[in-house]
Amino acid sequence: MERTSVSKPRAWRDLGARVSMVVPAVLVYVALLVVPVIYAIYYSFTEYNGFPHRVPEFVGLDNYRTMFGSDDITGTMVVTAVVAVVGAVAVNLAALGLALLLRRTNRFNTFGRVVMFYPHVLSALVVGFLWQAVLGPQGVVNTMLEKVGTDSLPFLSDPDWALWSMILVIVWSLFGVQLILYLAGLQAVPADLLEAARIDGASRWQTFRAVTWPSLASTVTVAVITSGISLLKTYDVVVSLTGGGPAGSTKTLAYSILAVSFPQRDIGLASAQAVLLIVAAAVLAITVLVLRRRAEDDAESIG
Amino acid sequence: MTMTSTNRGSKARGAALAAVVPLLLVAACSSGSGSAEGEDGEIRMMVNLTDNLNQAYWEKLVKPFEDETGLKVKIEGPTGKSVAESFPQQLAAGTAPDVIQSIFPDDDTAPELIDLGGEAWAKGTPMFDEYAMGDAHYAVGVGTQTQSLVYYNKTAFEKAGISRPPTTWDELTKDLGDLKKAGYTPMQTAGDFQTGLQLQQIYHPTLNQLHPKWQTAVADDQLSVGDAYEPAFQMYADWIKAGYIGKSDVGLSPSQADGNFTAGKVGLYTNGSWFAASLDKAGDLPFEVGVFSPPAADGQAYPGPQGATMANPYMIRKGTGDEDGAKQLVEYLVTDAEAVEAQLGSDGVFRKGAEPKRSGVDAQIQGILDDAPALVAVGEGQGNVRLPVTGFNPKFTEIAQSLYTGAGPADAAKSIDQWVDENR
Repeated sequence: MERTSVSKPRAWRDLGARVSMVVPAVLVYVALLVVPVIYAIYYSFTEYNGFPHRVPEFVGLDNYRTMFGSDDITGTMVVTAVVAVVGAVAVNLAALGLALLLRRTNRFNTFGRVVMFYPHVLSALVVGFLWQAVLGPQGVVNTMLEKVGTDSLPFLSDPDWALWSMILVIVWSLFGVQLILYLAGLQAVPADLLEAARIDGASRWQTFRAVTWPSLASTVTVAVITSGISLLKTYDVVVSLTGGGPAGSTKTLAYSILAVSFPQRDIGLASAQAVLLIVAAAVLAITVLVLRRRAEDDAESIG
Repeated sequence: MTMTSTNRGSKARGAALAAVVPLLLVAACSSGSGSAEGEDGEIRMMVNLTDNLNQAYWEKLVKPFEDETGLKVKIEGPTGKSVAESFPQQLAAGTAPDVIQSIFPDDDTAPELIDLGGEAWAKGTPMFDEYAMGDAHYAVGVGTQTQSLVYYNKTAFEKAGISRPPTTWDELTKDLGDLKKAGYTPMQTAGDFQTGLQLQQIYHPTLNQLHPKWQTAVADDQLSVGDAYEPAFQMYADWIKAGYIGKSDVGLSPSQADGNFTAGKVGLYTNGSWFAASLDKAGDLPFEVGVFSPPAADGQAYPGPQGATMANPYMIRKGTGDEDGAKQLVEYLVTDAEAVEAQLGSDGVFRKGAEPKRSGVDAQIQGILDDAPALVAVGEGQGNVRLPVTGFNPKFTEIAQSLYTGAGPADAAKSIDQWVDENR
């Protein structure tokens, strides 16, 4: 009895200490993320220009109807989906491949890791301008092609080429972080399992498929979700590389929100587009998590 | 100035969506009254800062006013990409400045601004009536930025055997062919905002001869934008097809296009009066630059009306802490002889009848402005002559670019009409 009565105040104190440490973070999170998202949802059902003297006018689902009825905006959704899906696959393949190459620690690999991470250090705006100078009609590549007597390539002046060029540039600028994630993930692959596979005579591919890949499952999940969400938000590179062109072929949803809807003070429509992006990010994250959970369940049932 | 400030220049806006949207929304959620005050006796003025119109330029400009009145003017650059973007955000956040330079009122911002129509000093300022909204006058300016100018390389013209600038579309098309044969890029353009802007600029005089106040006609459902612009789309598509405009130019940046012209590779370059400042900055060029007004419509008098915007417009926010001081400042900026003189010639600011010290190009532009039979609203329009949509210029550019990527003139006309219908 005595022990219980002594431990109760301590338990309360511990609880109080825990709560006092968590509450500031929760408040900041709610203020900076939850409240704006709630406002975004609210504004998405209104017509509003953002000015204090104007009262938001409730318009129901009009903004969503406009969004899905406009060829312009649905076009940006398609571009965003292509960028997110193709980009995420490319970023993760590139990062994983390089991580496997650079997993051993030696001077060359250390230098290689720094070089590979470097693009991520650059501002996305700088990345866009830099690649404009490389891929533009008067850029380095086309100038060299002309010098050797070959026709120049329409990297940024043809709609299809521009989209794929933009994805390439985004992949180049993003994969550094994923590379670090995969390098960290590879450090956690049990060395004894790798050794056992080697002793059993497994080939490199078999070792990768049976040992390394399953051990990287959680890393892959994080890498795919973070890269996918980054790609859904693609804005800066669009501004500096293509300006959304030619003919709107590289306009992403984020670009449309920030460069079109907000400047036109169409807060309701911009909010509806932002809500769509939030939903898309959530769907992406949940899908990847569900797929991973299912794969783990399948593995356990086999085991 | 507005075309310049909203469309060109730095693109230093790049915060990630996750960060920006919440911040913008927090700003939008703010119930501020838009009455943030500066310190006592201080008037806050937001201006567009550029390479040459920098903080020092503006502080020097307002110094005599400060000395005379004892009021302090705090020069502020936009917090976002431009004043056009920052002012509404600051209004929403309750931190808007007292005086705003470089942008114009619209239906959203007009209720937040002071009507200067009753001020005697405001009435004689350039384009005062053209910018009236109803009977109210929210913006007063220093001069005019002419939009519809075609700069040309006189050496290229000589080599191509062209004796004088064209005044009709047929002549212009023939000249483009001759320039191509002479080894020049006949007409320079670029991607980004410039593709659409140039097409509008070169077509303003003709469009306004064929459809006076066409923006109002569209607003009144008497004309569609597609019908108004289809002949221009047709002509532009023909030029692209004939190789008079480089197909790959749509991937160039406007500054690269400027560079191509100043390097002497180009015959014709459509641009606004602000390009004169870039030419001055470029120093000695390997050729002489000429300027002419674009062709008139068939059977119409040449030159046609000039597309023009009020240059260095100033507006005063309603609810400013020192309305009288703000009005004194704006009066000084748009009427004081020395202040006006200082602003003329900066970034292509011209004024009918003015005779400042100018380069040869400036003198030609001044002549075009003085000879123009009328100054007409450009793009989305201004004052009482406006389209019933916002965001026209970026959409128009997108559609002009579609002519490079396979769309026909009829498709382009249909697309712009569809967009107008969706956004009316």
